Amino acid sequence: MGQPRKRVSKESRSGRAPLRFGDDPLLWASWLYYQEGLTQGEIADELGISRPTVNSYLADARAKGIVNISISEARLRAVTIAQALEAQFGLESCLVVPGEGGPRPLIDRLGAAAAQSLGSHLHSGDTVAITWGRTMLALAEAVSGTEARDLVVVQATGGTTATIPYTPEACATRLAENTGARFVPISAPAIVSSSEAREILLREPVIAEQLAQLDRVTCVLFGISSMRPDATIHTSGFFDSALKNKGYFDNAVGAMMGRFIDAQGAAIPSPLDDRVMGMELDRLRQVPRRILVAGGLDKVPPILAALRGGFVSTLITDATTGEGILRAEGFEPEKIAPKRRAPTPSEPALTRSDHVKKFINRPKDAVDEALTGALAAFPEHIEPIGGSLRAIRARADKRDGKVGVVIGGGAGHEPGFIGFVGRGLADAVVVGNVFASPPPDRILSCTRDADQGAGVLYIYGNYTGDVMNFDMAADMAAAEGIEARTILTTDDIASAGADERAARRGTAGNIFVFKVAGAAAARMLPLDECERLARKANAACYTIGAALEPSSMPDTGRRSFSLGPDDMEFGVGVHGEPGVSRIPLQSADRIVDRIVDRIFDEMRPGEGGKLAVLVNSLGGTPMMELFILNRRLMQRLSARSVDVHTTLLGHYFTSLDMVGASITLMALDEELAGLLDDPCNGFAWMKQGR
Amino acid sequence: MQEINNKGAGGIISGVAAVIVDNKAYLSEIDGKIGDGDHGVNMAKGFGRAADRLDPEGTLTEALQVLSDVLMSEIGGSMGPLYGMMFSDMADSLGEAETIDAAKFGAMIRAGLEGVQDIGSAKVGDKTLLDAFTPAVDAFDASIAAGNTFPEALVAMKAAAETGRDSTIDMVAKVGRSSRLGERSRGVLDAGATSCAMILGAFAEDITARLS
Repeated sequence: MGQPRKRVSKESRSGRAPLRFGDDPLLWASWLYYQEGLTQGEIADELGISRPTVNSYLADARAKGIVNISISEARLRAVTIAQALEAQFGLESCLVVPGEGGPRPLIDRLGAAAAQSLGSHLHSGDTVAITWGRTMLALAEAVSGTEARDLVVVQATGGTTATIPYTPEACATRLAENTGARFVPISAPAIVSSSEAREILLREPVIAEQLAQLDRVTCVLFGISSMRPDATIHTSGFFDSALKNKGYFDNAVGAMMGRFIDAQGAAIPSPLDDRVMGMELDRLRQVPRRILVAGGLDKVPPILAALRGGFVSTLITDATTGEGILRAEGFEPEKIAPKRRAPTPSEPALTRSDHVKKFINRPKDAVDEALTGALAAFPEHIEPIGGSLRAIRARADKRDGKVGVVIGGGAGHEPGFIGFVGRGLADAVVVGNVFASPPPDRILSCTRDADQGAGVLYIYGNYTGDVMNFDMAADMAAAEGIEARTILTTDDIASAGADERAARRGTAGNIFVFKVAGAAAARMLPLDECERLARKANAACYTIGAALEPSSMPDTGRRSFSLGPDDMEFGVGVHGEPGVSRIPLQSADRIVDRIVDRIFDEMRPGEGGKLAVLVNSLGGTPMMELFILNRRLMQRLSARSVDVHTTLLGHYFTSLDMVGASITLMALDEELAGLLDDPCNGFAWMKQGR
Repeated sequence: MQEINNKGAGGIISGVAAVIVDNKAYLSEIDGKIGDGDHGVNMAKGFGRAADRLDPEGTLTEALQVLSDVLMSEIGGSMGPLYGMMFSDMADSLGEAETIDAAKFGAMIRAGLEGVQDIGSAKVGDKTLLDAFTPAVDAFDASIAAGNTFPEALVAMKAAAETGRDSTIDMVAKVGRSSRLGERSRGVLDAGATSCAMILGAFAEDITARLS
């Protein structure tokens, strides 16, 4: 079974009844997986069992020896060496290409392997530095596209006039071309004639700006040169043989980025240091991802030195070189045995208990009891209208001729809706049952209360039930002579395509719309103007949510859907429903990237643009994780050079206890920014005047 | 006997409410697959409250109005207005009628259907309660037009509602919250169509029992 698994199309399998292997499900599942090349999901469908069950069948099949996996000797050797190198040098990852690679030159094989693995090392928004040399050029040429966006590629050093094809300029431009990155050159020689010349060049704004990019590098791709007489370092223009003759480099075992290191990886000081234009070794150590690509027996001492010096987080090399490094480090080859992973414990075939514990009394009392508690907690902000818990107004002085702002919807979004009434926000809020629109009567009582003779704005998320109930209330209000206009929020861009924006649902972006409308009304602007600004605010908001666990309703106490241990939901709303797609679980940074990429596709924020940001918990995700998400978000925004005017982070608009988060970006102009800056006083959003 | 007295038929709504309350968990479970899982809970809340307040010995007209009022003013959501409108228009259609025969019943459910169509924006095929309700009303009329008895037409209505309900499995939701899921909404029953088929089924059974 050394062959790669081949996918068999459904067509080629249809037309014959599937073999059943005497109804042995382990054998049958193994056959479909290893021989027919189906995915575990497809097997689950085929056998009518759940995906976790397929997984445990396959684990059992391996444990019972039904499936024996054999790996070709050379490949196994490579993996074994890679594991040993990772363990010995504390590498994050190590890729070792097998020793026998056919007729292709080693440098090309290394370049191709590195290019292939780049997908897992490059992330959107990265600033990537690349050095020079044959291997770097092979790598840069072998790259064909990447999923990462907003990349910047910068030369790790200045240029050279040497007549070699693999100059710093060539390597960096090629990589930039092949990844679609913005290219930043270093417009100066790698080695200048004197330290005075360097000082002068550093004062050149263009060069200073280019070198400043090196401080932002998040990923560096570098090669290393040996000190052998025929090594490229001698012909590249990076070296001054006059200094060599003075014995400066007698202890050097290798060079990278024009700097020399000894066998322990320590930098060798020399007069050259003040003449090199490029990344310094101390800076190299601080780069989060440091990928050394090098192979060949002459490279064993320099690679070993770089490993010892802590310059490498990922090593890409070949089996012979890797073995040489391990031997040089004192390993006996025969002691390098493959590390056995512990057998995967078989997963429980089905899901855990669905029941979720909650701080509630009787489920049917949950909403009213929560509102009672909220009114007691924030008496300076909210009070009931006419004794109703479900129609609540701001505790603020009424002003004649002010446009009234009424918001509302179902419960379950706390502090959603009720936290956003107050001075400079909404005047009244209507509360329904959990995730269900309030009925028209109490919308009407809020409307009457909010009306000060200038008309009322209804602002709520675009949901069928809310629209029906608020529309009925608007009709009833009109009959009483109150003009009520409706703003439907539609910020959730995952919920429908860009061509049907009006069909989208409203989620966390709601609160920016409430704020803008509330501020406009507080400025005593007329109804037309308040409506225009609220619509403008809604159009400027872009939200996407992602969930790791479903939520559970107080009434049922059960998870509203089930989600496998390795799955997550992308594009979720705020009503506990599944998202637009189910995807494999990912790290925080990758989730942010996915959200931001999708938002940028539509929003296209320009350089120097101004944004308001909301990193919102859907209920079950703690602040700590929101901060982690925000960290990556800020990296992505700064890679786009957009200015973050306001950041809100926390529980703003939730989906009961859903474990998940949403990110809202709001594009600001001066008008919207000014309205966001106005003071407001809701219990979930308090802001002092500037 | 091909008609029932309006007076005393209020108990039909008690029976409808009992069916909804009994199926609270089931309806929520269906709803949870593509919605927020509260359909059963909200429906049971509304129908249960109405059952407490209505007079089973009173007229069907009065009972329908009580049910409508509770749904309209206390339940909210999308089902509150939709079913609220449906039962209100049914009550208006029946009015002061002394007895209910096939023609009056047919007119009543037709009025209920039009009430739902007025307030909602859905069409047949959008994966909503209309996919059960519309064919059921049509089947009732067609059965009567073909010369069948009132009980036979009720059987046809109930069967058509159930077929219609099951047809929602293969539909992609076009309106309501589940429409945001696109293709993912395919493969499960629509909760509204399911509760609608239950309501019509309960009507059919109770009236049939009263007719015999």
